Amino acid sequence: MNQLYKNRHPYMFIAPAVILLAVFSVIPIGVALVISFTDMNLKGLADWSSISFIGIENYKQLFSDDTFLKSIYNTFFYVIIGVPLVIICSLSIALLLNYGSNWLFTTFRAVYYMPSITNIIAVAVIWGYLYNTEYGLFNYLLSFLSVENIPWLGEPTIAKISLIILAVWKGIGINMIIFLAALQGIPKSYYEAAEIDGANRIQMLFHVTLPLLRYATFFVSVTTLIGWMQFFEEPFVMTEGGPLNGTMSIALFIYKEGFQFSQFGYAAAGSFVLFAMIIIVTVLQFKLRKSDTEY
Amino acid sequence: MAAATKKSRTEKAIVTCILVFGGILVSIPFLWMISSSFKPESEVLAIPPTIIPDNPTIENYINLFTNMNFAVYLRNTLVIVFFSFIGLLFNAMAGYGFAKYDFKGREKVFYLVLATMMIPGQVTMIPVYLILNAMGLTNTMTGIVLPGLAVAFSIFLFRQFMTTIPDDLIEAARLDGAGEWYIFFRLVIPIAKPIFAVQGILTFIAGWNSFLWPLIIANDESLYTLSVGLSLLQGQYANNFALQMAGAAFMVVPIIIIFAFFQKYIVEGFTMSGIK
Amino acid sequence: MKGKLLVLLVAIISAVLAGCSGGDDSSSGKDDKTVTVWAMGEEGKMLQEFSKKFEENSDYKVDVQAIPWDTAHDKLLTAVASGNGPDVVQLGTTWVAEFAEAGALKDLSEHMKDYPTFAKENFFEGAQSIMQYKDQIVGVPWYVDTRVLYYRKDLLKEVGYDQPPKTWEELKDAASKLADRGEGSYGLDIDMNDQSTPFIFAWQNGYEANLEENELNFDSPEFKGAIEYYTSFFREGISQSQQGKDIVQAFKDGSKPMFFSGPWMINIINDQAPDLEGKWATAVMPKKETNTSFMGGSIFSVFDSADNVDGALEYIAFMSQKDTQLKWTEVSSTLPAVKEAWKDPMMQENPLYVTFGKQLENAKAGLQTPKFERIAQELLATIERIVKGGADIEKELEKFNQTAQSILEK
Repeated sequence: MNQLYKNRHPYMFIAPAVILLAVFSVIPIGVALVISFTDMNLKGLADWSSISFIGIENYKQLFSDDTFLKSIYNTFFYVIIGVPLVIICSLSIALLLNYGSNWLFTTFRAVYYMPSITNIIAVAVIWGYLYNTEYGLFNYLLSFLSVENIPWLGEPTIAKISLIILAVWKGIGINMIIFLAALQGIPKSYYEAAEIDGANRIQMLFHVTLPLLRYATFFVSVTTLIGWMQFFEEPFVMTEGGPLNGTMSIALFIYKEGFQFSQFGYAAAGSFVLFAMIIIVTVLQFKLRKSDTEY
Repeated sequence: MAAATKKSRTEKAIVTCILVFGGILVSIPFLWMISSSFKPESEVLAIPPTIIPDNPTIENYINLFTNMNFAVYLRNTLVIVFFSFIGLLFNAMAGYGFAKYDFKGREKVFYLVLATMMIPGQVTMIPVYLILNAMGLTNTMTGIVLPGLAVAFSIFLFRQFMTTIPDDLIEAARLDGAGEWYIFFRLVIPIAKPIFAVQGILTFIAGWNSFLWPLIIANDESLYTLSVGLSLLQGQYANNFALQMAGAAFMVVPIIIIFAFFQKYIVEGFTMSGIK
Repeated sequence: MKGKLLVLLVAIISAVLAGCSGGDDSSSGKDDKTVTVWAMGEEGKMLQEFSKKFEENSDYKVDVQAIPWDTAHDKLLTAVASGNGPDVVQLGTTWVAEFAEAGALKDLSEHMKDYPTFAKENFFEGAQSIMQYKDQIVGVPWYVDTRVLYYRKDLLKEVGYDQPPKTWEELKDAASKLADRGEGSYGLDIDMNDQSTPFIFAWQNGYEANLEENELNFDSPEFKGAIEYYTSFFREGISQSQQGKDIVQAFKDGSKPMFFSGPWMINIINDQAPDLEGKWATAVMPKKETNTSFMGGSIFSVFDSADNVDGALEYIAFMSQKDTQLKWTEVSSTLPAVKEAWKDPMMQENPLYVTFGKQLENAKAGLQTPKFERIAQELLATIERIVKGGADIEKELEKFNQTAQSILEK
């Protein structure tokens, strides 16, 4: 008992947040897990006695649902291209912004953050203009290079890439400021020492800056990956999953099943498949990092 | 800025050029949003789109303020922002706990925290509502605020950054007889200022834009926030774009102010040296 | 710096305290003399003020909560789950079956004789089918809408049509002539995300579903004929299959001189394309077997968990009176659901209203099954595969019929 009192501090520090998360996230996730084994729909929501357990039926059905399988493929397409792109872009911009400290650079910190705070409807409208096949700006510019009209949102694979570009544009801001904050944690003395050792600037970047950013990079890659696995907003506002389900992501699939069609059991099962996939990739990331902590 | 002296002028010019070019690229939609808010409805969707309105008008803003129960919505929004900053403190504490203490079950609890990020929010919406309902918190400000206080993303971010604070520093303070809370508030928080600034921005934005819970929990419009008020202006079929852009532009102004306020801490707040 | 922060903190805390006390006032004052109403979007905001007319002649007070359209469905779900709903709720026509099936709406059958304004025959035929779910009366129509043909008078005249097209053949002919005007010109715009259009064509072609027998009949020749007609517009390049210009802009510059839409479009065109005044008009749907259109709108239902059923019924009765309906039309420019209201000069004298009045005589609501949304989405996906993916109509429709049938029976 005495021992516990002596060690009370860590628990006191984490208690408020952890208790809140337990009540408002962990328990609801548990409830959703139970729901995923039922045939819960709107009727079941109103009258719980009409719900019946159907075992893993939802899960079986998911894996024979073409739309769901397609959404898994699309999600991985988004993640594999989008995640590295976001990390590289936001890191490069952070490095560039960290280059100087005059008013210009201060202003551009705000400018590069703008996409994250631009209203999503404005984003949808203006990117709709840019991507429009007929009179969009992109095709207009390409016409000077005598490139044929590209159906930016009209063909499944191109539409996926278009949405990735949009999401990268939107996702840079937040990661950029995290990298900027992390760059401040690097003591100047390290650079001075490296300079004395005769390192050039490229070497400094790879041997001083990047290794010292590893805590931030790890954070950014884990959260970006989790975020992109749940890719939702961009297809939701731009394409609603079309054309031919070519931009349907798992999260959008879940949303449609759950909130458009009120198939809560089925949607919950879909979320747990997604949940499992995210856990696997996240655990992999943690494992990979463990191996190089002794950098 | 010892390294800065070495940077050649051309290098600086190139960096500036890249930044300016990219900056224009990323800010066009934002500028369009602002300029659209000053356009009459007939011009908003005109092709080709205009960046500078042909017939500028402030009618949209007048419309906005006369159509909304503004004072009430603003007050509710500020209340939510205030509480989300308390939540920010909880998250920082938890992040510190996970980063700098070794205790039983640390890994397990931390993974559990992370796991809460991994499921789409829509799936837990109804269970959360039922929990709040059972606690008798529907239609109260408490019910609106509570589910958003603890955020796994934020705990994780604090943990990542606080891990880089050297243990020696904390040990030294302990040897000097400082209590754990004293260390946290007087030593850790000042060191972690940049990350607090980042979190401050994110927390403000989340609180300022809060939409779903105020809507779901409130059974009374006196609990609505600005975002909910704005979305009421949207019709089932018809969208008044200019009005919406005015709303969006209005919502974004405080965010820019907060960003300008906090961002200097992101880049200037850190003066400690000898951090690993 | 510290001083400033302190001032800020004090300011925020006082705002918070003010906020808390404000919240307390509002949570009290709910008693059995208050009718709580949930209504959507802009209409919800106008309804509070409008309801004063009801309060004047009644013992009840009305408390309207406006809910944004986008999230109304979510909000209703939580209300169903917790039983914490309002007394009266506005429902879009496609949501009725879903919530009725869940038992979330009160059956009003026993009250029908006490409230003569609820009688089915007061409403358009299309609206009557929305009131009913299986053998229950689950709501009373509030306002209605329907799709009609919007067309550019000047451009149709150029291709030899002084009158809007009256039949399928004429529609096709006029549209293809308009599409032949040159590169970038189209004849008729069909919104491929709008689930009503394929059903409109199908009904016009004599299609019927038999829900009592669980027969959707999507394999009937009538349905197939309609989908062939629909897709032919795309195949022949009369309609644009790719995402093109916003419809109002295209209507304005003439590249898309005809489209189907509802009454809300009148204001949009007037706002966004004021120069077009006098150059456009609306017309009832072109005819095949019939000229049926789609019936939309909203009904008022009583929530199953309502605390104040009597007040709710009285309120709905008030809202379905002829005079109230006309006043609401004045305020909101939605269309009255009560047939009597259409005999009023206000509805008779405005040519734009007249078209809608005529079309409403011949409009049907979507299939009244909770699965409608799902089936309609499946249909749109099928059409997309035919138009964009070049799939075979025959095979796709066969597949669609099977899928739809299994969705319905599940």
